[in-house]
Amino acid sequence: MIKFLKKYSAVLLLLLTATSFQKKLSSGIDDKATVRLIFSNVVKGHILVLNDSAYTNPFNESYTVSKFRYYVSNIFFEKDNDGFQQKDSYHLVDEGNQASKIISVGLPAGNYKSLQFLLGVDSLHNVSGAQSGDLDPDKDMFWTWNSGYVMAKLEGSSPASAIVNHKFEYHIGGFSGPDKVLKEIRLSLPGSSYEFRAGKSYTIFITADINEWWQSVHDLKIAEHPAIAAPGTWAKEISDNYAHMFHLDKIVAE
Amino acid sequence: MKKIVVILIAAFVVASAFIPDPYHTHKTGFHTTPLQLEIPKGWPAPYAIFKNNPLTEEGFQLGRKLFYDGRLSKDSNFPCSSCHQQFAAFATYDHDFSHGYNNQFTTRNAPPLFNLAWSSLYHWDGGINHIEVQPLFPITAPNEMAENIDSVLARLRKDTAYHRMFKAAFGTDEINSQRMLKALAQFTGSLVSADSKYDRVKRGEEIFSSGEQRGYELFKARCSTCHKEPLFTDYSFRNNGLAMNDYLKDSGRMRITGDPADSLKFRVPSLRNVVVTFPYMHDGRLYSLYKVIDHYRNGIVQSPTLDSSLRNGIPFTDKEKEDIVLFLHTLTDTTFLHDKRFSQP
Repeated sequence: MIKFLKKYSAVLLLLLTATSFQKKLSSGIDDKATVRLIFSNVVKGHILVLNDSAYTNPFNESYTVSKFRYYVSNIFFEKDNDGFQQKDSYHLVDEGNQASKIISVGLPAGNYKSLQFLLGVDSLHNVSGAQSGDLDPDKDMFWTWNSGYVMAKLEGSSPASAIVNHKFEYHIGGFSGPDKVLKEIRLSLPGSSYEFRAGKSYTIFITADINEWWQSVHDLKIAEHPAIAAPGTWAKEISDNYAHMFHLDKIVAE
Repeated sequence: MKKIVVILIAAFVVASAFIPDPYHTHKTGFHTTPLQLEIPKGWPAPYAIFKNNPLTEEGFQLGRKLFYDGRLSKDSNFPCSSCHQQFAAFATYDHDFSHGYNNQFTTRNAPPLFNLAWSSLYHWDGGINHIEVQPLFPITAPNEMAENIDSVLARLRKDTAYHRMFKAAFGTDEINSQRMLKALAQFTGSLVSADSKYDRVKRGEEIFSSGEQRGYELFKARCSTCHKEPLFTDYSFRNNGLAMNDYLKDSGRMRITGDPADSLKFRVPSLRNVVVTFPYMHDGRLYSLYKVIDHYRNGIVQSPTLDSSLRNGIPFTDKEKEDIVLFLHTLTDTTFLHDKRFSQP
């Protein structure tokens, strides 16, 4: 038997290592807080309702919304010196899909200063071929004629629009050079730093106000720009505007 | 004793299942047969188009089946191969524009498909930045295959042969857009054409006739800046002096870059297999090689973005025109046009 143990000591050692690895892994889970980000799309504080409700933009143009989607990627919680980067962090928030408006993050416990994310899909994933998950081209957010993701999409109708069926359509994309519309969003957490405790659950409520698409930086009217569906100047101006649409409402600890 | 060994090994196997795998690889024990992309002697290195898509026999065969399958189109009539015919070097033979769904036409001449690994951009305007995402365009274009990706996938999922082939290529029988596109890229990216008479002459296996040789010398002197050997294109975008198509108003590369300096610029096409890819130019307006030479002799339309090398056209005597065309005939790769590996499975 002893001879045998000697012979297979390597195997036993491996077994022991595996067991301790497993312990370490499970204790790792305990070190984390469960954080849910809930995105609420609004117009001037009113919850967005697709198709039915009419809203008024900053130029007194009335409009309804039929589609509202945007990519939230590379979610990062900032600490004093470093932070936590979510892996494979690509999320399509789609007003038409309730589940898509909730993003879960396993966050290592600690004090964090801000929540950051990219509004859009980073350049690399625009040039790396066929993707999956929320980046699957069947999500109808990928340009087939000019490879690249539509970072954000807003569609609806407005009496101010003179194009067919009084439509307005904004498909905002462009990932490189002067056409780049990627926006880094930084939302400060309450206080100068917020503590997330291990084993606890938190919900961060974030609103996105559609009315910012037409103002904030550049004044854009539906009457003058009913359709923007290619990279370029107007897409860039809209993205300068919508970079200001997010607001961290509150954090609820459970 | 044996019993203990068995128990220990079993315990080890069980324990190893708990060791976290940082890359989430699926160890289902499936095996694929690796393939190597053929890189002809003397050619530049290809782009790493298979970097995230390891080329395998199983993936290639799945891509081949998909390429020839009408179910990728709305009414089943338009597989990729309806516009990309092998005997035309995977262009559409004798068509300025190709036919699509509901009696519609495409708006550009179907380019031939070969040596795609040596290009980083695709389409006449370079709008496609990766070989894997190219099929999304023809599949969803309302005047081509007119279908959406989810409907295509739903159709493929009804076919047990596809379940088998996706499993063989990717380890499980999950059928999704990423796998479909990667498999298609394995097929189209493997289409290498490098066995024309020109290639055999270069390899010292054959010699040019005197007319072909005269044509080759003319070609090197007057055409090879843009149609650079050995791929017979420099992959640049240039305005080669064609008047804007009145009907299509196609501004070419400018449509992608938005830059007026790119107006009327189109991808310089390879001249390999050029005899079988007629008609020529992005809108197929020139029906013969003679017409193409005539265009460069005396058809150049001046415009601000015209390529500087074409300001005065390219002079060719009638005799030289004959010789150039003789040379261009040596670029036909009949091995490629009849290669059974690339034909309908």
